[in-house]
Amino acid sequence: MKITLFEQAAYRYFADDFEQHHESVCTVPYSLVDRARVYDSMRDFLDELMAGARAGFDGLTVTEHGQSSYDLMPNPDVVAGALAYATEQENLPTAIYPMGRSLGKSREPVRVAEEYAMLDVISGGRLVAGFPVGLGYDAGINNGVPPLEIRPRFDENLELVLRAWHDRDPFAWNGRFHQYPIVNIWPRPQQDQPPVWITGIGNPNTMRMTLKRGFGFNYFGFAGAKLTGKRIFDRFWDQADQVGVPRNPYRLGFLQTVAVADTDAEAERIYGKHIEYTFRKGLGAIPQERLAVPGGIDIRGVRALLTDPADFGFYYQMRTGTFAQLAEAGVVVAGSAATVREQLIEYCRQYGIGNLHVMLGFGSLPKELALRNIELFADEVAPHLRDLWQGTEFEHHWWPERLGGAGPAALPGGQNGHVTTKEAVLS
Amino acid sequence: MTTEAVPAVSTRTVSVWDGRLTVNVRVAGTGAPLVFLHSPIGLVWDQLLSRFADHYTVYAPEFPGTSVDDPYMGHVIDTVPDLVLAYQEVIEALGVRTPVLVGHSFGGMLAAELAAAFPSLPAKVVLLAPLGLWSDAAPVTNLAAAAADQVPGLLFHDPTCAAAQMLLTPPDDPAAAVAGAVAMVWALGCTGKFIWPLPDRGLRGRLHRIIAPTLVVWGRQDAIAPVSYADEFTSAIGGARAAVIDDCGHLPQMECFDQAEQSISDFLG
Repeated sequence: MKITLFEQAAYRYFADDFEQHHESVCTVPYSLVDRARVYDSMRDFLDELMAGARAGFDGLTVTEHGQSSYDLMPNPDVVAGALAYATEQENLPTAIYPMGRSLGKSREPVRVAEEYAMLDVISGGRLVAGFPVGLGYDAGINNGVPPLEIRPRFDENLELVLRAWHDRDPFAWNGRFHQYPIVNIWPRPQQDQPPVWITGIGNPNTMRMTLKRGFGFNYFGFAGAKLTGKRIFDRFWDQADQVGVPRNPYRLGFLQTVAVADTDAEAERIYGKHIEYTFRKGLGAIPQERLAVPGGIDIRGVRALLTDPADFGFYYQMRTGTFAQLAEAGVVVAGSAATVREQLIEYCRQYGIGNLHVMLGFGSLPKELALRNIELFADEVAPHLRDLWQGTEFEHHWWPERLGGAGPAALPGGQNGHVTTKEAVLS
Repeated sequence: MTTEAVPAVSTRTVSVWDGRLTVNVRVAGTGAPLVFLHSPIGLVWDQLLSRFADHYTVYAPEFPGTSVDDPYMGHVIDTVPDLVLAYQEVIEALGVRTPVLVGHSFGGMLAAELAAAFPSLPAKVVLLAPLGLWSDAAPVTNLAAAAADQVPGLLFHDPTCAAAQMLLTPPDDPAAAVAGAVAMVWALGCTGKFIWPLPDRGLRGRLHRIIAPTLVVWGRQDAIAPVSYADEFTSAIGGARAAVIDDCGHLPQMECFDQAEQSISDFLG
């Protein structure tokens, strides 16, 4: 089991009634912040991630969100660059894992290939390369991409990035959205190919694509895994069966917010208000029309969501969610180390999860509490999870070889996993 | 708003763009041809179309992707120039010559683009609250990005009016309500390719090419495209005139049918 420390760089000092007056994205006024506290929020976020690396987490995971107050992260590669160098300097064997650059949003896909190659070089081959399609508001509003083009842009940009990494010779790219006369990036990645992970929200076509192409699939449990987990993960493994690939847990990642204390009661006491801050002022304050922009979700997905909105879990109540409700829905797993590990082991066993991304710093949580959460998790929870899939026939093909990864997976049909272009898979 | 008998509406399907694009066209009435291009929410057969059918053969193409039988036609055409050529092919495939060209909102932008690209194509042009221009002083609201509860007030000056109720009240049957919502969302997505994030693909530079007599109809309280654009259209199109309707929003032919219809019939003669 690989366990990464995940954080978002939230502004930590909003007033209690923030979410009653503002959305957390797009129009949220910058006049609400104190610039010194922006610095503090960013510095503490970085310090906490570095503490995670020192505490033995297998990776450091961050996301991309432009024009957002809950994640000050227009480009996660900037932060990943800082982490890559600092961890290299301290000789910390942790994966640098942006989850990552949104390819449905990016109008500069070669830049994305270059940044990831840079990260892989700086980290000496520790990059795990995440590619989300991109949230509707981020691609559509923040970057002005017509929503109907978000998915086709993702598809084109992914091919271009992969080819820019592995083609030996310069090539011309004549795409629907981008044209480049010569693609010949310097540097190329250190790894033959950094492991590729795609983040999805439940679209079976995205799941299928990752399985066919030999990529990992990440699911973020922000909407409450007790409500959505079974639906999403059953769907994923059904797709794996249909595609004809083994149910290898290492190809699946799950992100969960976790709060560990000495007792369950203490967890509620010290983390409760910060958990409420996180979700009321973060995801809960992203209006529905920012997430579901017309054309950004395929018509079959729109029909599925309008007929049965359960894939969105607790999202609809999040803006006023209480700690008790958030815990009940599984948005957060909080309690003593015993409580937390019991719940996480159950999720991982039941759903076949081989990569757990734990959000241990969140919202307004002060640095000293985040560090305590990180330490308690590392000392009292992680050791009980790490060997979960030990002794099974499965190997981890979606992890850097320098960090113990087993090299690329075989694709359906037994092809060599290094060959990852769409044409090669389909031919 | 009076209710009128809806004429018999048939569907013709034409194949254009070298066979890659199939377009469903709703057809009604008899007489000289009139082509109607609908708004971003999809084709709604309203009172104005029924009235047109009293005097014209009305051809109302469903925008690619908005026909229930083939939503993925929305992925075929990527640019405004190609879209204009494809629509010219649709009109030709229908066997229609020099029609009256009427367009509403996004359809008004498309009608203006067609009339600018093919100046001798239309006999006359009627633009109902057309999109297509952008001024920083009068930002156009992106309907597709709006919150659901804002939509009635964006479309209508008086969201409680009968026309608003008729257009926006979901059917009682839950399955039909979902189907209607899905259709509207997808129509906004398909048309959004050409008007998202801002409805400006350079039309201003082409409007001078329109030579057909042109009427621009605008609701004074249009909350999507401010009425100030009426002047911009009429000053850029030689000989165009505007009819501005008081107490009226972005759907003048629905919210203020009598005034809109009067202006249009005076213009068309």
